[in-house]
Amino acid sequence: MAEPVAAGRTAAEIQANAAGALERRRQRRYLVRALMRSPTFMIGTSIVVFWILMALFSTSFMQGPFDVNPMYTLQAPSSAHWLGTDDLGRDVLARTLAGARSVLIVAPLATLLALLMGTTIGLITGFYRGITDEVIMRLVDVLLALPVVITSILILSLLGRSTAIVIVVIGVLFTPLVARTVRSAVLREREHEYVMASRLRGERPWFVMAGEILPNITAPIIVEGTVRLGYAVFAAATLSFLGFGLQPPSPDWGLTIASERLFVQLAWWTVIFPAIALASLVVGVNLITDGLGRVFSK
Amino acid sequence: MSDVVNEGICQTGAPQTAAVEVRDLEVTFHRRGRDLPVLKGVSLRIAAGEAYGLVGESGCGKTTLALAVLRYLAANGTVDRGEMFVDGRDVSTLSEEELRKWRGEAVAMVYQDPATALSPAMRIGDQVAEVFRFHQGLNKTEARERAREALRKVALPDATLRRYPFELSGGQQQRVVIAMALAADPRLLVLDEPTTGLDATVEAEILDLIEELRGRINAAILLITHNLGLVARLCERVGVLYAGRLVEEGPAREIFTDPRHPYTMGLLRCVPRFGMNKSDAALQTISGTLPALGEALQGCVYSARCPMVQPVCIRREPDLHAWPGDGGQWAGAAAEAAPADPAAYSPHHASLVGEGLRHARCYFSAQVPEMPLTSPVLAGTKAAGPEGGGDVLEVDTVRRSFRDGRKKLVAVHDVSLKINHGETFGLVGESGSGKTTLAKCITGLIAADSGDISFEGKRLKPTAGRRSQAALRAIQMVFQNPDSTLNPAWSTRSILTRAVRKLGGVSGSAARAKVDELAADVRVEPRFLLQKPADLSGGQKQRIAIARAFAGDPTMVVCDEPASALDVSVQASILNLLVELQANESVSYIFISHDLAVVRYLSDRIGVMYLAELIEVGSAEEVFNPPHHPYTEALLSSIPTLDFDDPHQRIPLRGTMPSLSEPPSGCRFHTRCHRILGDICVEQEPPIQEAVTGHTYKCHIPPDELLQLQTATEPIAPIEV
Amino acid sequence: MTRLILRRLLLMVPTLLLVSLLIFMLSEILPGDVARTILGQYATPEQVQALNTEMGADKPIVERYAAWLGHFVTGNWGTSPITDLKVAPQVVDALGNSLLLAGLALVVIIPLSILLGVLAGLRKDSLLDRGITISTLSLTVIPEFVSGVILLVIFAVTLKWLPVQALAPPGSSLPTRLYYLILPAIPLMFIELGYIARMARVGTVEVLARPYIRTAVLKGLPRRRVVFGHVLRNAMVPTVTVIGSQIGWLVGGLVVVETLFGYPGIGKLLVDAAKTHDVLVLEAGVLLVAVIYMLSNLTADVIVALLDPRARQRA
Repeated sequence: MAEPVAAGRTAAEIQANAAGALERRRQRRYLVRALMRSPTFMIGTSIVVFWILMALFSTSFMQGPFDVNPMYTLQAPSSAHWLGTDDLGRDVLARTLAGARSVLIVAPLATLLALLMGTTIGLITGFYRGITDEVIMRLVDVLLALPVVITSILILSLLGRSTAIVIVVIGVLFTPLVARTVRSAVLREREHEYVMASRLRGERPWFVMAGEILPNITAPIIVEGTVRLGYAVFAAATLSFLGFGLQPPSPDWGLTIASERLFVQLAWWTVIFPAIALASLVVGVNLITDGLGRVFSK
Repeated sequence: MSDVVNEGICQTGAPQTAAVEVRDLEVTFHRRGRDLPVLKGVSLRIAAGEAYGLVGESGCGKTTLALAVLRYLAANGTVDRGEMFVDGRDVSTLSEEELRKWRGEAVAMVYQDPATALSPAMRIGDQVAEVFRFHQGLNKTEARERAREALRKVALPDATLRRYPFELSGGQQQRVVIAMALAADPRLLVLDEPTTGLDATVEAEILDLIEELRGRINAAILLITHNLGLVARLCERVGVLYAGRLVEEGPAREIFTDPRHPYTMGLLRCVPRFGMNKSDAALQTISGTLPALGEALQGCVYSARCPMVQPVCIRREPDLHAWPGDGGQWAGAAAEAAPADPAAYSPHHASLVGEGLRHARCYFSAQVPEMPLTSPVLAGTKAAGPEGGGDVLEVDTVRRSFRDGRKKLVAVHDVSLKINHGETFGLVGESGSGKTTLAKCITGLIAADSGDISFEGKRLKPTAGRRSQAALRAIQMVFQNPDSTLNPAWSTRSILTRAVRKLGGVSGSAARAKVDELAADVRVEPRFLLQKPADLSGGQKQRIAIARAFAGDPTMVVCDEPASALDVSVQASILNLLVELQANESVSYIFISHDLAVVRYLSDRIGVMYLAELIEVGSAEEVFNPPHHPYTEALLSSIPTLDFDDPHQRIPLRGTMPSLSEPPSGCRFHTRCHRILGDICVEQEPPIQEAVTGHTYKCHIPPDELLQLQTATEPIAPIEV
Repeated sequence: MTRLILRRLLLMVPTLLLVSLLIFMLSEILPGDVARTILGQYATPEQVQALNTEMGADKPIVERYAAWLGHFVTGNWGTSPITDLKVAPQVVDALGNSLLLAGLALVVIIPLSILLGVLAGLRKDSLLDRGITISTLSLTVIPEFVSGVILLVIFAVTLKWLPVQALAPPGSSLPTRLYYLILPAIPLMFIELGYIARMARVGTVEVLARPYIRTAVLKGLPRRRVVFGHVLRNAMVPTVTVIGSQIGWLVGGLVVVETLFGYPGIGKLLVDAAKTHDVLVLEAGVLLVAVIYMLSNLTADVIVALLDPRARQRA
């Protein structure tokens, strides 16, 4: 039998506590180090960080992306304008760098919305199963039967085109996919005996869902989140290309490509650079996803 | 246990005569930049037609050996030294093409979990025929014919050819795997845990099959298992592997009756033998834990856990010496010698192997029979008598069914039983018997469809969610799988603290004290409490799970195969712990296990379930001896034992376990019963007979007649399938 | 097998009903005044009133929905108040054009992706694997209009190897029409390549780790037999499922590509209809797309059942 414990902690306990904390810190650092060692992750992160910085600060050091200059329309790249000018004489470089802003606002917020709603739905359906599960998953199937882009333009055409609505629409349309992933993860965890043990303690369902199951499915949720982020960037850009996102004179990439494509045979630079910029951001996000996925699966 | 003495053994060893010869094999795994030596200088020799058992617990390297011989090591495993010969050919010199031909023709393998070993989308006939088509170049029709023959050899009907693997039972699947392995008439058949996971009766059938086939094939057999009884049943010779080193080797019968290595002795002691009961003695355990895979060890690999360890054992690893031999002299000479380099494994005396002699890797083989006990012999821990009378638990006509597609499976059919205070009730049955479902109904994880479950006289609500806190505290459960029984995201202390708060109703410093007390009760050191479950060993995890169940001072604990997923040497300590806790805390247990020896050891009373029904209840003594239900009789006969002198005979059950959706009419067991009376068994449900007070069983044969039949000495004629 | 198909078809019906309800609600109920939405802000109240009556906007919702559904099923999709053309032939023609484009893309890319994915899976972690994985990953995440624009600039504008427009002159033969569709089909192919190849790779890797592959190898079967007989069949199961569900994204891709290249397919039709608030075309078009999507999923499930006998028992 253990000796009677004196009030407060014994020296050995304190030491053991510290050892435990040190161990946890070491484990977290291992994770970070593993991530840093993955070239895909680092490249992806650098790209994304670059664009975040551009979105935040580019207008402060670049000449205005809105400065119309009718004298210098459709100029080829030169020393004055490194990437040329567009049909209204605006500097393409400035517009390209500033164009990140809209995508980087819409996509992360939409993803966050989808994660919050999807995780909640996934937890509830996965945990309760039965009728709730059947009904909700049926609704999920219905939502998934409608292709995302088509449904978005349907809704946006009828409800208006503010940024907020775009965020909500993308978020809602991505929720089913997140819910499905979370649900499968929950179904797996649910069969584990520690869940049964917590039911035998009389734990309330919300405790089991949030306290027992959720901490064990954070890895798939994070990976799913970054995957959704990639798709959200994709979707947001596509919507603005089709004319359902932001309006001119925003330097948004999708919008720029849509409006400048008429001039593609005369001035390819107005279209190529925003295209490359968008491509790099999307690839960057997906490299992060790939890197995270690899590290978490070890 | 045939005592085939093959000529090959007695001759001094030209390797060509042996079916398999392995010399000084060293295999290393490279993982994350570290080199883990898994096999350290192992040598063995199997003569043609001989059956050799390779025994060891997890991490000892036994499967690695087989895969190395087959040249199927994972990409990160390398053979650093040593040679392997099959039928005289050096395996490492085979080219890719030769290797392909050689596999299947010279060597074949059968392993655990037959369901995953068969290609799910291909018909059985095609899979078996493949061997003939690609090894012997036969065309489709010929190959089909040969496949049909191969299946007949393992007693499978022709209809099996057109089936898919998922349509067969576990036993049938394993037969197919065996048929495929034997198809090309290999020289060596490797069986890697071939019956683990199969029911006891199915296991017995497969063993019967293997025994029967041995008479008809030329193959030598390498049986890899942790189950000593299997080896005793099938093999002439056995090798004991520990931490990648062969520590003892020789004829099976001698090794099991007169072991000369402390590890072998320890293993034999920690397995409860038939007839042992907890009130007789505690199980002997092996202290310490199994070394991790590839761990580097100083001196004798077993020294850290050996109850006979001496300084010389740590200084220099003993060689494998012959027994009886000059083992004693080693100690003296070695004591003077300088400490040897632990990285260099002493070369094996290969010529000694396979000569019908025994070998042991210990300086003190002579003293092994007197090896000190590790657990004190307990004074009788008989069940505490009922306090003031009354049952702890009463189950009354409980029924529970499941829906599978359109079929209704009745998992528990009108089961009634009573459990007294402080007693251990063993619940026994094979897969599909309903024992786990019953346990879940009792604890409230599943709601029974009908019937009552009462605790101390008061009816319990069907689901745990509706029961009072007092009821939850009183009935707890310990689960089977140590890896999933604790929440991996919580620290061990948090897990126990939560349990103590919820079940024990205390908080703050009182909770902390209680957690410390629980940890001490289950013998887990305080420093492990701060870790996450992933950092604990299997045995430790299970101890914490037990502590968690005891957090609220329960009155009854349901133990569902609590030690089955653990290694043999760890099982004993967990079982001892359960016995100790029962004595100290006066709890009752419902103990579910497929291991009958363990159930017999722990239980005061036993219930036997078959196909959702409780067919027999009585004290352990009564149930395990005649008169008892024919199913119990057959079940007991199917366990491979280490008792070489026990004349108990094998009673084969015919047919397979019927499906729960269509239980047989009349007596559910009649389709397989070897004592079937006639139509009465088919048409009428049998009555409950009472042999003595408290011992009941469901059968048409009355007790006196049954006793006469079951104690008769004539062998039972096998019934035609 | 037929029972499986029938059962799935039966299950499709309630889902389709819900989908059609959703579309109907979004199109005619949500915006409030349907006629106003269609005619825009400049129409006179009388015109709005007239259209509303014509469309039966004053009747109860259930009746309107039932009427609309009935019309859809019988093929009477009405006449668009915006373009004054009958909706049905518009939509069907556009669908035909899209099927040609999508068909071209799929016929080329499905075999290619499966091949690359399986190769990558067979040689996991090799240089070939990393190369295939990274390149397909990069191509798949680039929005269709981005890759489309880049390809357009390079191949049509600068190098002039391929035509700028996607629609061949009327009366062209099939090969000519396909030639014009090469450039628009490539962005679609890029997107599908990543998903399908990734799934094929994952499927292959998972199957290779299974014990029955070990059985096959240790049986002494030649490598080719192991791959074709055992690996492929089982690895294709998740792959086929993914292809079925990818049709959804393919439709989205069609929208973008057709808009970019000005090709009169169903995607462009829907975008234009969305911009002009041509509700009738929108409703019919979206519902038709949903039906096709569900049918493609059903086809995928049927193929899976053919490949995997266990699936025939389930659901």
